[in-house]
Amino acid sequence: MTTAVLEEIDALVTLEVPNGLVGVPEAQRFSLSRWGGDDSPYATLKALDADGLEFVVVPPSVFFPDYAPVVDDDLVQRLDLHEADDAVVLVIVTIGDPVTTSTANLLGPIVVNRHTNQAAQAVLSPDEHDPRRPLVG
Amino acid sequence: MLVLTRRGNESIMIGNDIVVTVLEVKGDQVRIGIRAPRSVAVHREEVLAELTKANRAAASPAAEALDALNKVRPTET
Repeated sequence: MTTAVLEEIDALVTLEVPNGLVGVPEAQRFSLSRWGGDDSPYATLKALDADGLEFVVVPPSVFFPDYAPVVDDDLVQRLDLHEADDAVVLVIVTIGDPVTTSTANLLGPIVVNRHTNQAAQAVLSPDEHDPRRPLVG
Repeated sequence: MLVLTRRGNESIMIGNDIVVTVLEVKGDQVRIGIRAPRSVAVHREEVLAELTKANRAAASPAAEALDALNKVRPTET
């Protein structure tokens, strides 16, 4: 497990998502916290302005080391990203039943500027990225 | 909904700075060019619908599901 990516999550704490997530405009501020113990790769994203709304996220590199999303210029500018290292990428997990069928949304990663905590959900090309990619198997 | 008829290479202006141009009509496919300021997000509707669906499906999982997920870990390489 790459602990570096998990330490990045610890450093973030609050995310400002001015446009909300796609189809979920009601929440623009989230608290991000590691979840499940020290060796867990998961984190929860809890809406601060929409009661009870919560997502599970994971750094994509944990499960998909080859995942290298290219975000468009508009998002780069909006988040004021100057180099790749300015960004922290997280993907949203949909828990399946059974749990081994859980998936990650690689089509719409959450991109965060680690210096400003500004974040947005990128919209990538469906030809290249799967919104329901199984975590394992 | 406003309905306009356009031919190839004809455009529509939306406000002062968004230009939608019909580039080519071929059978049941239409190629469209869009020029808009960077602040305007332009996406295919079905992609946003797909993401909306995925986000809604992922939202607010049950506590038991979350506990179970903690057992799902990457396969060691």
